[in-house]
Amino acid sequence: MSLMPFASSRPLSIGVELELQLLNCNDYDLISSAPDMLRRIARQTHHGEIKPEMTRSMIEINTSVQHEYAALVEELHSLRNTVADAGRFLNIAVAGGGTHPFQHWSEQKIFDAPRFHYLSDLYGYLAKQFTIFGQHVHIGCPGPDEALHLLHMLSRYVPHFIALSASSPFVQGHDTGFASARLNSVFSFPLSGRAPFVLHWEDFERFFSKMTGTGVVESMKDFYWDIRPKPEFGTIEVRVCDTPLTVEIAAAIACYIQAMARYIMVERPGEPQEDDYLVYTFNRFQACRFGLEGVFIDPRTHERRSLREDIADMLLRIADHAAELQAGEAMAQIREILATGNGASWLRQTYAHEHNLSDVVQQQAKLWMNG
Amino acid sequence: MTLSAYLPTWPLSISPALWLALALVIAVLVGEGLVRYLRLPRIVGYVGIGLLLGPAGLNLIPELPAAEWRLLVDLALGILLFELGSKVNLRWLKANPWIAGTSLLEAAATFFAVFGLLLWFDVAHVTAAVVATIAIATSPAIVVRTVTESRARGQVTERLLLMTALNCIYAIICHKLAVAFMHGEAGTGLIHTVLQPLYLIGGSALLGWLFGIAFNSIHRHLGRHEETFSFLLFGMIAIATIVASTLKLSPMLILLAAGLIVRYQRQRPRAFLPHFGSAGAVLVVLMFTANGLAANLDGLRDSMLLVLLLILVRTIAKLLPVLMLAKYSGISLQQALALGIALVPMSSLTLLLTLDTAAAFPAFASGLGLVLMSCIVILELAGPILVQMALRGAGETLEEKT
Repeated sequence: MSLMPFASSRPLSIGVELELQLLNCNDYDLISSAPDMLRRIARQTHHGEIKPEMTRSMIEINTSVQHEYAALVEELHSLRNTVADAGRFLNIAVAGGGTHPFQHWSEQKIFDAPRFHYLSDLYGYLAKQFTIFGQHVHIGCPGPDEALHLLHMLSRYVPHFIALSASSPFVQGHDTGFASARLNSVFSFPLSGRAPFVLHWEDFERFFSKMTGTGVVESMKDFYWDIRPKPEFGTIEVRVCDTPLTVEIAAAIACYIQAMARYIMVERPGEPQEDDYLVYTFNRFQACRFGLEGVFIDPRTHERRSLREDIADMLLRIADHAAELQAGEAMAQIREILATGNGASWLRQTYAHEHNLSDVVQQQAKLWMNG
Repeated sequence: MTLSAYLPTWPLSISPALWLALALVIAVLVGEGLVRYLRLPRIVGYVGIGLLLGPAGLNLIPELPAAEWRLLVDLALGILLFELGSKVNLRWLKANPWIAGTSLLEAAATFFAVFGLLLWFDVAHVTAAVVATIAIATSPAIVVRTVTESRARGQVTERLLLMTALNCIYAIICHKLAVAFMHGEAGTGLIHTVLQPLYLIGGSALLGWLFGIAFNSIHRHLGRHEETFSFLLFGMIAIATIVASTLKLSPMLILLAAGLIVRYQRQRPRAFLPHFGSAGAVLVVLMFTANGLAANLDGLRDSMLLVLLLILVRTIAKLLPVLMLAKYSGISLQQALALGIALVPMSSLTLLLTLDTAAAFPAFASGLGLVLMSCIVILELAGPILVQMALRGAGETLEEKT
């Protein structure tokens, strides 16, 4: 199968996908109720899209194509209300966060659809361990080469997105010490990591047909890269974020990425280089492990600073672009995360207060459902 | 010194408790066999062995003396009712009133279907009404036990627990009202017909409320250590049961109400150990075996048609409303079918209501009481299998592969 041509999309348009956790209201463990939720939601008209995911305790909400923060957050609110109302009707709680703190992966049930069964057969227990919850952000690109340029320029900032959204410190009942433990599950997939360093679409097509020729992949969906092109939408898709604890934070992070993309497209601050990736996995690990306190090494200057500092610096640099995109409120949210901490620190504080992971998940669901 | 000083005298005098203990050991072994080789629920073994070895079967083991049997069932059923209540979220009824509607319709349909059937069999109105109220209840013991054993969770499971708790409440209250009318017919004054159920409902609700409050405050201070807490709870359930009998209130209503209040009041989730620890679990197993020993199938011999029709009519009356309102209450027809079938079991609670009625009215004991007892035996054996099938069919069980 050859790669489909890169569709055109309005530059800097954005779309957000959020994977959400479905919980029972007795002990707040995951519950395999996606079919019940989807049946209930199908009876109503709603914005965007609401879809099943790999296991039956997950559900995904997608916004339509948006251009700025206010409309994006409004659509996310309406999607959230649709899902939360269906949840209340069925006695199911819904929450954000990158992992469920104490679920047993072996108890998850694969959603009944051919693709999910295929993945489950291929990946075995990895598929069930993939009961993790991420935010994906699409950024519209004017053309395929521009998309690859943006992809490799944004790679430098992947640790920003991880640290800001990180909300998965607990796994299988324990504090992992990571801010985002969710990404550790993603890294175990053979085709995870970063996209190959090619800057022209013909080269990318050549890479893709070589890969399909080996029989390892069939479509773009088989690559679990941190950022990947999505030719049918004409976008690149940033896939490293945990689902944040509220839709407001999700929208703010999407607009932070959007403003950064505008900065890259308009100011053209240098060209991407293969050597930018020398520090890539180190920086990404620091962001997963330590969140905003993680160390960030600049690939060009080799300067070391904390991620918090690097993000604060970036906020200043993209301020004009954010203003142009009407994203002032979103940038204020990002500054607040820098000041008060990300989802992972909220979850740890709540645990220190409640001493019980069920109670933490209950608070987490309340936060997400009521905003 | 003679031999008789240290050897037992012949014939041996054996305490009835030994027979129960023996039955327990066999029943548990058979229960494990059923799970391992036939994937059937363990309770079938517990009840089945009691039935097979007891007076209704091979008559190898005598029935427990009535007082001991009653104490055992009161305690074990109390644990299960409290457990049921504490698993049920009453606030859900507000968010989804269709479930409340389904529950009321299901209970009303059961009452009128059974009432109509009995009138057709020329049973007196009042007696027919008493039996019809008893038929409303789904067995909390079988439902809680089977859900625990199959580790089921999901829409069908949660609705089953909620609707069982509700129909038990309807059954206990309506039964008292019907019995009060029966008393009225037997010549007691109107004042007692009204006052007795009022005392019962008000008193039980008050005691249940006090129990729930006490439970929550003790749990707040002792809840960290699950085991200590289980012992305490166990004692509290015994106290509530005995106080209730002393005050002539319904222990069943009190403990169910207490469980509901505990869940309603605490906004925080809390998972208790199944049956609040292993002591509770042992009592539950003993209860099922003792129920088997106390089984009475005379009704099946004398009026088999009525027994079978009663089971059939009751099953349809429970199934149809659930199917009819499925779409509105947010479940699929397949789930509704599972839920309707899972509502069929009868066991200890029905048995206690039947025996209480029989104790007050000797004519009932030798007539319709026997019919009900036969229904109970059949639905106590088939019930766990039906619930397990239903929950499995709905894809909500999580059984270990053995």
